[in-house]
Amino acid sequence: MNYIFHILIMINIYVILTVSTNLLVGMTNLLSLGQAAFYGIGAYLAVFALMVLKLPLIPVIILVMIGTALFSLIIAYPSLRLKGDYFVLATLGFQLIVFTILYNLVSVTRGPYGIPGIPAPKLFGVMQISGLVPFLILSLILAIITIFVFYKLVHTPFGRALKGLRDDEIAISSLGRNVTVFKIWAFVISSAFIGIAGFIYAAYVSYIDPTSFNLDEAIFILAAVLIGGTGNIKGPVVGAIFVVVLPELLRFVGFPDSVAANLRQIVYGMSLIVLMLYRPQGIAGEYRLQ
Amino acid sequence: MLLQLLANGIIMGSVYALVALGFALVYNTTKTFHIAYAAIYMFSSYMVLSFYKFLQMPLLISFLIAIFLTMGLSILIERTVYLPLVKKNSSLNVIMISSIGVMIVVINMIAMFYGNETQILNPNISKSVTFGNIILTHTQLAQLVISLMVIGIFITFLKYSKFGIKTRAMRDDNILCTVFGMNINRMRLSLFGLSAIFAAVGGGLVAYDVGMDPYIGMPMLLNGVVALIIGGVGRFEAPILGGFIIGIMQSLAVWVFSSRWQDAVTFSLLLIFLLFRPQGLLGEKQRAV
Repeated sequence: MNYIFHILIMINIYVILTVSTNLLVGMTNLLSLGQAAFYGIGAYLAVFALMVLKLPLIPVIILVMIGTALFSLIIAYPSLRLKGDYFVLATLGFQLIVFTILYNLVSVTRGPYGIPGIPAPKLFGVMQISGLVPFLILSLILAIITIFVFYKLVHTPFGRALKGLRDDEIAISSLGRNVTVFKIWAFVISSAFIGIAGFIYAAYVSYIDPTSFNLDEAIFILAAVLIGGTGNIKGPVVGAIFVVVLPELLRFVGFPDSVAANLRQIVYGMSLIVLMLYRPQGIAGEYRLQ
Repeated sequence: MLLQLLANGIIMGSVYALVALGFALVYNTTKTFHIAYAAIYMFSSYMVLSFYKFLQMPLLISFLIAIFLTMGLSILIERTVYLPLVKKNSSLNVIMISSIGVMIVVINMIAMFYGNETQILNPNISKSVTFGNIILTHTQLAQLVISLMVIGIFITFLKYSKFGIKTRAMRDDNILCTVFGMNINRMRLSLFGLSAIFAAVGGGLVAYDVGMDPYIGMPMLLNGVVALIIGGVGRFEAPILGGFIIGIMQSLAVWVFSSRWQDAVTFSLLLIFLLFRPQGLLGEKQRAV
């Protein structure tokens, strides 16, 4: 039972990651390879808020969201002036720089040793959230809030403008909309929610080190979104479930752990290739990547 | 000390230039962001390992076989993944994502067969030569000489041969080439094959020096891409310049900060160029914005 709870919590974390990444990839056509950097920034900010400031739950979440959003603003403004490959490269460069800083600034982040013993967040100053069931409830609530926010966002004028500039940027700017401002907002909102995923991960595992937020993780998040599907809410959720459940299924089939890790990566890689060839909108998505 | 670091930087830079040139060969002409190039680079060093260490063949012959097999892999990827996508009119982003997929598959297949741990090709400590204050190992000298030779041959080839002229024509306009009756698909095949030679030579040379694991490709690819951006997209001499700049900058980073901050220096350089001079040092003025 505990095992199933653990998988459900991981699914919730990845649902938040993929649904918010989808705002960039599927709604705005911005392929970002820097998502793990925001995930990491969120996690490290959460640790700072929990261990140093000793804040309770809700202020921690607010601080993480604002902090991650501010960081994303630093990268959003310059890199959004770039197009296509150059934008992807800029986010990739940012991802690698953030990882290098987290890894090497040993005096602040403890670098490769990681930060152990992250305390459980307190709700209203009394209720300690620790153990599997409370974390499952917390992560489920946060995942549902995320899905709700992004679902509503798509149907606001802002969401429609994003979809419009995804399909035809020149048309939107000729209608008098400031395309860059829309893109920056999409970037900032998406990063703020990715920060929440970082918070849940840090508080749940109670140990973080920079290798959880490296380039492989960024590729993994992007792959999860693209496998599940882009452009709607259903797709990213399917993607998150797929990438979390698949390794567990492979384990049940009876592959030894050493082979299973590589095998699961091969399955992800093959699914990316096959989907791009025959179904560029992903398993359950509706937007074909441009 | 400074001279020694500079020499190391130039030697590393020659390998970066080599690898970047192979990447640029594909990127400039077909616009494919060939991330699977990382896996191709890594594949070649494992092929050298198989023939040299496991099958006990002479070094030179294992190198040549590895180059041929790596070319085969590159052509296989082009024919089974990229070309079908191009025929479907897929966007460049779609091709890049499928390239990531190919990279993941190849890396993990190698990891499954050979294991995740580091493998050493040359267990002996390489002999060294001294020039004044500078000490260089034989392997380093081989890296420098072979890289410069391959680059030199290729640049001459590109300038004067018919194939080179076709390549430069493709860089300028793919569609116009088709209009003039060039067989674009066959050109693509040769370009992917050729680019694999650069990856294979670079991969073999580095692996002989420091060994290999299945994940060495990505850092090398990233250095190559940064070299390309710094040099400038479009001209084939540009990634060579970029490669040497990165090699020297990384050596100096060791001197000024420490080796831990090498990556930070490289990618800060990338971001600075992307933001302030996206056409690179030698590139033609174009709008990346």
